[in-house]
Amino acid sequence: MSQNLTMSPDLGKEDWDPDVITRMIFIGPGAHVSEQEIVSEFHMLGLPLTIKNTCYGSMISGKSEHVYKAIEEIRKLDPNHIFTKERGFAPGDPRRCRGHRFGPREGFHQMEKEYRILGFVSEALENPKDVTVEEKKPVKVDDFKKIMDECLENRE
Amino acid sequence: MVKIALVSCGTEYSGIQKEIEKAANKFGAEIVLPEIDLDYIDESYEKFGFSAQSSSLKLMIARAMAIVEGRSKPDAVFIATCFRCAEAALVRNEVRRFIQNNTRIPVVTYSFTERTKADELFIRMEALATTVTRRSILAREKQEGLTLGLDSGSTTTKAVLMENNKVIGTGWTATKDIIESAKTAAAEAFEGTGYDWDDVDGIGTTGYGRFTMGQEFGAELIQEELSVNAKGAVYLADCQKGEATVLDIGGMDNKVITVNNGIPDNFTMGGICAGASGRFLDMTSRRLDVDITELGPLAVQGDWRKAMLNSYCIVFGIQDLVTTLAAGGSKADVAAAACHSVSEQVYEQQLQEIDIREPLIQVGGTSLISGLVEAVSETLGGIEVIVPEYSQHIGAVGAALLVSGMGHRQDNK
Amino acid sequence: MVKIALYPPNSLILADLLERRGHTPLVLQKQIRQKIKDPEIDSPPMNITEEDPIKGLKYAAIEVPSGVRGRMSIIGPLIDEAEAAIVVDNAPYGFGCIGCARTNELSIFLLRNKDIPVLELTYPTNQDETYVMVNKINEFVDSLEQTAGEE
Repeated sequence: MSQNLTMSPDLGKEDWDPDVITRMIFIGPGAHVSEQEIVSEFHMLGLPLTIKNTCYGSMISGKSEHVYKAIEEIRKLDPNHIFTKERGFAPGDPRRCRGHRFGPREGFHQMEKEYRILGFVSEALENPKDVTVEEKKPVKVDDFKKIMDECLENRE
Repeated sequence: MVKIALVSCGTEYSGIQKEIEKAANKFGAEIVLPEIDLDYIDESYEKFGFSAQSSSLKLMIARAMAIVEGRSKPDAVFIATCFRCAEAALVRNEVRRFIQNNTRIPVVTYSFTERTKADELFIRMEALATTVTRRSILAREKQEGLTLGLDSGSTTTKAVLMENNKVIGTGWTATKDIIESAKTAAAEAFEGTGYDWDDVDGIGTTGYGRFTMGQEFGAELIQEELSVNAKGAVYLADCQKGEATVLDIGGMDNKVITVNNGIPDNFTMGGICAGASGRFLDMTSRRLDVDITELGPLAVQGDWRKAMLNSYCIVFGIQDLVTTLAAGGSKADVAAAACHSVSEQVYEQQLQEIDIREPLIQVGGTSLISGLVEAVSETLGGIEVIVPEYSQHIGAVGAALLVSGMGHRQDNK
Repeated sequence: MVKIALYPPNSLILADLLERRGHTPLVLQKQIRQKIKDPEIDSPPMNITEEDPIKGLKYAAIEVPSGVRGRMSIIGPLIDEAEAAIVVDNAPYGFGCIGCARTNELSIFLLRNKDIPVLELTYPTNQDETYVMVNKINEFVDSLEQTAGEE
């Protein structure tokens, strides 16, 4: 029987501990550090953490106090290009792992989408500047009518 | 293991995911999610053309597209959305049609609440799993040889004997002891045909008592009533291709099954209100002092608008009808009002949960009450309603049809 | 430190921008973690049981679909706890808990109707708009800190 039907999956003791949390670490485009450097830095910290490399960056889990400490240290490597987010499920939890479910979990698509503007966010953090963006409004009915008439005239 | 793709906008947020997984598991199936990525979601959503506001519905559309385009290859599809959500109901039906029109993968749909009961899911999953594993049986469109179908329902037991694509004998009795009632019904079906138990090629059983009967008589086919009734109805009504709805207003409970090319894809069952059942008509005929068989023709002559009926309830509604009679109202109008009331109540309680497809095939004992058939058609805006011959024996006919080709009892003789 | 509710509540960017300023984003993942780490409950994958849509009755009536009420049972407590809120309109995607438009409409309404500072933003589509979003969030956080300092 495949694991996805396991109501209570066979997880380690740590995974059931409510104080054990998981964070995902993303590296935005144009970062000054590599995924490998981040992972080694995590190891160098010597904290009791589980560290995992993933397609978008890395994932760490452990006691919340250690995780927050590690995040604080890691951010220092490249503050404007490293982003982090909480994750509800522990790494490899069969209830949400695509290895068991075949398809990806829903949150993955959200991440994919946000990843696409991470470059812009880094840029805004790195070089703060004031920008004004014109707000788009619907065209006035009179203008609409004028353009419509013009188009019709041109066709004739 | 049968792989059932879950196409839904979030069953896990209604607290019913466990029930879905358990039901699939029970019938040797597992729930999987089609593999897709973000670009594919955008692409399929645009291709499909339904502008849904909820992104989970976009995801649902993309999952359906992945199945249709063969990116994902499940054996069956379970489409589920929340009951009472208009946006999701529209997408659910369009996605269902899309998969059925473009693949041969069986689909079952479901609109759920947090109160979903395990047996409602079980019967759907069983139908889905058996459609996958017994596809060749369900594809049967003609009965061959001599077969016996037995349908053991909660109130009555039916038997049908078929030979070379024709019904040659029928039996009907109230269900008491399952085996004894089945024997009584079968004896009635054999009567006058010159055949007996030893002459049949195969036996098929269905209904609540299908396992008990199946074991006793060594049935070649033991099948849940969803597939069997759907098959029996489209066979008798000659609607084996395309879409149809099967409606069975029973003495105790009602079933509505939607069918695509002879295979059921949705189903609702109700049984909480006597006012929406044949029992209401039974009470009415007793009050009118006419036989239940006369109630239908009587109702057809009457006008329901002329009889006061302020309640659907079997207690208060019947009381209203009595008052109408006392005030000099005609029996025909009262009979018509009773049929109209049952039909309206079935609509209120059940037909709204399902997408009704024409033609509607009405079956079961109550389908013989012509006034009720007329009322159902009127309630549904003049929809075409077919009542095939032997409509009251639908399950037994379905079982006799499906078992043909499976039984070889005469080969060794 | 201010507890700030986010909408969408599972956004990476929003949560990160607040956290790097030392505030607590009220995020969904923490709610989910509480549920899935309860080995007493047996309902994969999210451990939302039939009891949760009932709890959601606090936020939406019984006639509202069960999926909305189930989601509100997770999102609602975040709204209750919020001391400030940032709402992003037109966020292109929201799956899972926030995949339901009706839930989102209700949640945003509840945030707006709460007597707390609310910053409304539009999801950026280009670089300039991203600047605007980041600047507005920073200004909002500054103003929250000021108010907190005055008290």
